[in-house]
Amino acid sequence: MSKTKESTGKKLSGQVKGYILLILLVLISWGIFKVITPDNFGSPKNLLSYFEASLLAAVGAVGFYFVMVMGMFDFSIGANIMLSAIVGCVFANRFGLGYFGLVAGAIVTGALVGLINGTFYVKLRIPSMIVTTGLALIYESVANFIAGGVEQTLPSGLRAFGQMPGNLILAVMAFALAYLILNYTKIGTYTYAIGSNEFVAKNMGINVNLYKVLAFIISGAFLGIMAVLTISYGSSMVAVTGMASMSRNFVPTMGCFFGLAFKKYGMPIPAIIIGEFVINIIFFGFIALGAPTAVQDVITGLALLIIVTMTTNVAKGEIVK
Amino acid sequence: MSDIRLEVKNVSKSFGITKALDEVSFNINKGEIHALIGENGSGKSTLTNSLAGIYHKDHGQFILDGKEIDPVNQVEANNEGISIIVQELGTLDGLTVAENIFLGHENAFVKMGIKNTAAMNRKANELLKKYGFDRIKASDMIDDYNFEDRKLVEIVKATYFDPKIVVIDETTTALSREGRDELYKHMKRIREEGNTVIFISHDLPEVLTMSDTITVLRDGIYIDTVKSSEIDEDGLKKLMVGREVTGAYYRADYGEEVSSEVVMRVEEVSVPGIIRNISFELHKGEILGFGGLSESGMHEIGKACFGASFDRTGRVVLSDGTQINDIPTAISHSIAYTSKDRDNESLVMNQSIRDNICLPSLDKLGNKAHMLSDRKLRSFADEYAKKMSTKMQGVDQFVSNLSGGNKQKVVLARWIGKDSDILLLDSPTRGIDIKVKQDIYQLMDKMRKSGKSIIMISEELAELIGMCDRIIVMKDGSINGELKRSESLDENSLIAKMV
Repeated sequence: MSKTKESTGKKLSGQVKGYILLILLVLISWGIFKVITPDNFGSPKNLLSYFEASLLAAVGAVGFYFVMVMGMFDFSIGANIMLSAIVGCVFANRFGLGYFGLVAGAIVTGALVGLINGTFYVKLRIPSMIVTTGLALIYESVANFIAGGVEQTLPSGLRAFGQMPGNLILAVMAFALAYLILNYTKIGTYTYAIGSNEFVAKNMGINVNLYKVLAFIISGAFLGIMAVLTISYGSSMVAVTGMASMSRNFVPTMGCFFGLAFKKYGMPIPAIIIGEFVINIIFFGFIALGAPTAVQDVITGLALLIIVTMTTNVAKGEIVK
Repeated sequence: MSDIRLEVKNVSKSFGITKALDEVSFNINKGEIHALIGENGSGKSTLTNSLAGIYHKDHGQFILDGKEIDPVNQVEANNEGISIIVQELGTLDGLTVAENIFLGHENAFVKMGIKNTAAMNRKANELLKKYGFDRIKASDMIDDYNFEDRKLVEIVKATYFDPKIVVIDETTTALSREGRDELYKHMKRIREEGNTVIFISHDLPEVLTMSDTITVLRDGIYIDTVKSSEIDEDGLKKLMVGREVTGAYYRADYGEEVSSEVVMRVEEVSVPGIIRNISFELHKGEILGFGGLSESGMHEIGKACFGASFDRTGRVVLSDGTQINDIPTAISHSIAYTSKDRDNESLVMNQSIRDNICLPSLDKLGNKAHMLSDRKLRSFADEYAKKMSTKMQGVDQFVSNLSGGNKQKVVLARWIGKDSDILLLDSPTRGIDIKVKQDIYQLMDKMRKSGKSIIMISEELAELIGMCDRIIVMKDGSINGELKRSESLDENSLIAKMV
């Protein structure tokens, strides 16, 4: 009988390998743009601002990870962020509830959107992509209705989460919470169990549908936190319609891909955080270069494919879907 | 105090129009290893899966120690004192060894909603040490272990809480000799502790050696319960099949000359970390066996010859000079391959029997415009499924709903339908009942006589000895010996070269 693993030391070295890969990605992406445009890119101060910007999407991505690792998808991320931000802003501003209204309004709205997504998904028994695409249209319309077609602006006195240290504190709290849920609660274990084999998980007495809904609620709540950070960072939110909110899906989803790619190293959450940082370095690098949007999109798309391909390292013969 | 541990009373279960269990009633005692045998599709797994909460019986009763139980899932069954080790892989990727062992039972380690991972790992390591599996680490991801080690983790998972009944469903076929010995040791321990093992196996000598009592099912109907000491293999076969199983089980010929015509030449083939410098020739009308321990590398031979191994070096050359480096070339040159890992590598589980059988033959089933006729596909699949006596509702039935043995029949039907000239059969009778085994052996013999060549890879030494013209024995990834067919060839000769 052969043994395929010698000791836990191997896992530790796996984690170290994961961190080395991520740090290399940061250095390479930074190095390339620093060489091309040394004057207006990549100073320590710049890097700090890129990191601050990356915190927004990283918070949403750690929540979305719960959904993706179970094998589901959510196309309503952007609509959720938009709706949650607008509701939070309305609570804070129009109802005079201040920071409490902003944070609680956005998180509760996000979680509620997650609850609706999850419930529709398990009850209708149709693919999550289709369910969430349909619902995204509804969320956009609701956001537009609440906003009354007017851009919602957060007063300057309520923007502490848009800058240091408020944004960092909120983001770190969110990361810690996600880490705790994933590693130190039954929810985390069941999330991976369902993602691995739903049938066996069901036979182990796990209420699969309940935990799927819960994954959407957790994801929604984290997207609610992302909404707080987003509106605080950008100071306002416009309720777009016609699926225009989909453009907000991209960055958190990319971060989530990093989490999935580095799951095998046992470090999905650090991978999401550093991965979002890498993505932002690339974005800001292009801005420093003054590259046209079309070029930015092409190169960002290619960079995503290259990074995920290099880091995923799928075993030969392993089926990829 | 009664000796009866479990009363099975009038249990019935249907899948669609198929009656898998029909009013089955019998008793199982405390402190015994109770074997459950029968042909594929006889209802053994359906019965134990219903007992373990995986299926829900339609009616009838399970009475455990005088109390009726009706578990709706495995955890509820565990809480009633029943656990199961399933035929296929029962551990989950993405979780640690400890998380797999305690899946569904995490509450013992949760306080205020927070899971004490360290305590869980500590407890799991204690258990692994107690079972003698201390080389498996609780905090490791289960993905890092091979199939066999994962089965050992399942043994711990199924037995650590001293269940009253442990169901072991066709597990031994997945284990090497060493792994089987580990399992046997724990089966005996469970019996000595006064608990009960329900043991499902198609290996009748193993059943007779390991069990105290044997219950036979046939077509979902209870046939008989007998004492192991009061029956022999032929008696069991008769009960299972419903008639005397006579005639040649294995090949009866000895001393027949194998054709000198070489149909496949394997030259210096290596697959990193699995096999090294393998060279042999396969002759027309020959059954060439490969034996060895589970991890000897023999299971890679089929893949390597089929062009399915990764990073393979060396050459696999057919008589016309064609080199086999990929699967499409292999199939187009009339080579068939059945994997040991039937569910993951041979079958498209969520497709119908029809689709599975027709898959490699679609080119020949299409018309001139490459359009496929439903009627033609159905009739083709039906012909070969019936040729293999597949128990099914019809060819539209999903393969995932078939029993293990019937799934194997679908795999074989596919390649018989394709009329392949070279068959690479890895563990072709794994999980197959005695009657179908006989059918498969006779089919192989017929194919051999008609000039087809077969490579048979198997952990069952008896079938290698009984069926092959030559047996190549593998050890540590290399060829360690070759034995020719003869009446005097016995298992010990093979074992001497295996270990």
